[in-house]
Amino acid sequence: MQAYIIRRLILVPVTLFIISVIVFVFMRAVPGDAGVAKCGAAGSFDQKCFEVVRQELGLDKPKIEQYWIWFSDIFKGDLGFSPLQRIHINEEVWGRLWNTFQIGILSLIFTVLIGIPIGAISAIRSGKLIDYLLRFFAILGISVPNFWIATLIIFLPAYFWQIRVAPDWVGWEEPLMHLRVVALPAIILSLSGAGAIARIARSSMLEVLSSDFVRTARAKGLRERVTVIRHVFRPSMITIFTIIGLQFSLVLGGSVIMEAIFGIQGIGLWVIEAIAARDFVIIQAIVMLLSFWFLLITLLVDVAYAWVDPRIRYN
Amino acid sequence: MSERDSSFDEQIDIGADPKWRSVLKSIWRFVRTQPLGTVGILVILTIAFLAIFADYVHTSDPEGFGRNFLKPPSEENFFGTNRNGQDLWSRVVYGARPALILGLGAVGVAMFVATLLALLAGFFGGIIDTLLSRLVEILIAVPQILWLLMLTTAFDRSIQTLIFAIAFAFSPITLRVLRGNVIQEAAVPYVEAARVIGASSPRIMFRHILPNMAPLMIVIASITIPAALLAEAGLTFLGLGLEPGTPSWAMDLGGGARQYFASGWWLPVFPGAALAVTVLSFNLLGDSLRDVLDPRLRGSGLV
Repeated sequence: MQAYIIRRLILVPVTLFIISVIVFVFMRAVPGDAGVAKCGAAGSFDQKCFEVVRQELGLDKPKIEQYWIWFSDIFKGDLGFSPLQRIHINEEVWGRLWNTFQIGILSLIFTVLIGIPIGAISAIRSGKLIDYLLRFFAILGISVPNFWIATLIIFLPAYFWQIRVAPDWVGWEEPLMHLRVVALPAIILSLSGAGAIARIARSSMLEVLSSDFVRTARAKGLRERVTVIRHVFRPSMITIFTIIGLQFSLVLGGSVIMEAIFGIQGIGLWVIEAIAARDFVIIQAIVMLLSFWFLLITLLVDVAYAWVDPRIRYN
Repeated sequence: MSERDSSFDEQIDIGADPKWRSVLKSIWRFVRTQPLGTVGILVILTIAFLAIFADYVHTSDPEGFGRNFLKPPSEENFFGTNRNGQDLWSRVVYGARPALILGLGAVGVAMFVATLLALLAGFFGGIIDTLLSRLVEILIAVPQILWLLMLTTAFDRSIQTLIFAIAFAFSPITLRVLRGNVIQEAAVPYVEAARVIGASSPRIMFRHILPNMAPLMIVIASITIPAALLAEAGLTFLGLGLEPGTPSWAMDLGGGARQYFASGWWLPVFPGAALAVTVLSFNLLGDSLRDVLDPRLRGSGLV
C-alpha cells in the first residue's frame, strides 16, 4: 500500500511534465498569436505595440528557452503574467477558482442528493413501474444537454411571464441571495452526474441485494428496512464514493458552459475569454492547474478505494 | 413463451434455417426484449432519413435569408422562423447532418485508433504496452473539455478538426478498456492453439482476437456516440465548433441566436429538443445493446 502510494506520488510530477510539453506545443501552434490579437490585425496593425507585446511574452526568444522559462516558473508556483489582461495570473486565479469551486461543490451535493435516492429506490423496487420511471429520468438526465436546460430556464419564464430567473452575482455580502445565485447553475450542472450516479447506485445495490449475506439477513428475520440500510446500503457505498470522487473533477470541466451562460467569473469563463484573446499564458496555466487537481483527486480516490476495500491490491 | 423456451427454439433453428431467417429472428427477439432500444433505433433511423433526404421534406434554404422574421410555428413553418427569416424546421432538419457526421465520424476514428493500439499493447505487451498505458494515464489526467478547447483553438475551424479533436479526447479511455479486453481474449486456450499450429501474430490478432472484441466494441461505440454529440454541441455552443452560420442545433442555441430568444419561445425549444432526442435515442440504444451483448456491464453506466 505504502509502496503504491509512493509510486503514484512520483508519477504526478512526471505526468505534469509531459502534459506541460504537450500543452506548450499545442499552444504555440495556435494561429494568430497574442501580439496580433492585442495590437490589431491588418489595417490598424501597430508594429511597435506588436514588438513590445512579443518581448513581454518572450516570443522573441527560441522556443526551447520559452518553454524552459515557463516550466521552471510553474514549478516554483508562478503561473505567469498575462500581458494582454496585464495581470499576474497568481493574483487572479484564486478568486476565479473559488467561484468555480463553489458551483462545483454545490453541484456535487445536488448530484448525491438527487442521484443516490433515485438509484436506491430504483434498485429496491426493481422491475416495478417506479423503477422504470426513475431509470428513464436517469437516462434523461445524462442525455439532455445542460446548456439547453439552462437556456430554457432563463428564457422561457422571461418570455411567458416576464420573470428574471437568474439574478446577478452578488458575492457573500448577501449570503442568502448568493446561495440562490450559485444554486441555479449548480443544480443544472448536477443533473447529468445525478443520472450517472443513479444508474451506478442502482446496479451496485442490485448486485449486493442478490448476495448471500443479504439472503441470510432476510432469512434470520431481519426487517427489510434494517437489511437495506445496514447490509445493502453500506457495501454499495464504496462504488458510489469512487464515482463521486471522479465526478468532482468532471464537474470542474462541465462548469465551463454554466459559467459562460450565467456570466460567472470562474475558471471556465476565463479559459473561454483567454481562447478568444489567444492569451495562451492563461490557457497553459489553467490546463496545468486543473490537471494537477485532477491527478490529486484520482490519486485520493484510488487510495481511498484500496483502503476501504482490502480485497483490492495494486501492484 | 418463457425465456428458456425461446433460446431453445433458436438453437434448433441454427443450421436448419437460411441465414436471413435467423437474422430476422434475432432482430425480432431484440424488438421484443428491448422495447426502449427499439424506440431508440427507430428515432435514429428517422433522423438519419430526414438528414439524407433533407431537400425533400418541406424545407427551404437553411442558410438563405427570408422575409418572415421571427414568426411563430405555423402550417407553413412547422417550427417558426428565426431572426434571419430562415425556416427553423429546415435548420433543424439540415442540422442533423453535421451532428450525425460528427458523432459517427469522431467515434469511428477513436474506435479505429484505439482498437489498433489496444491490439498492439495487449497482444505484444512489454515496452509497447508500458508506453501506451503511461500515455493513456497522462492523456486522461487532463479533463476532456480542456483537450477539446485546446485542440479546436490550435487548429483551423472545420468539421475535420472537430472530428479529430473529439476522437482525440475519447480515444484514451477507449484504448484502456479495449486493451483489457485484448489481454483477456489473448489468454483464451484457442489463441494458444492457433499459435501452436504456427499462425502468425497478425493472423491471430485480426482473425482470432478482433472478432471476439466486436461485442465490447459495439457497446463502447454506442455509449461514446451520445457523449461525442454532446461534446460537439458544447463546443459549437461556446462558439468554438462549427463555422458560424452553419445549420446546426447547438449553433442555433448559442452565440448571436441568443439575443432573440426573448422574442420567441420556439427559437430555443426546437433545436435543443432535436439534440436532446437524438442523444437520448443513442443512449437508449446503447443501453439495450449493452444488455444484449455484454450482460456483465448491465446498468453500470460505465465504460
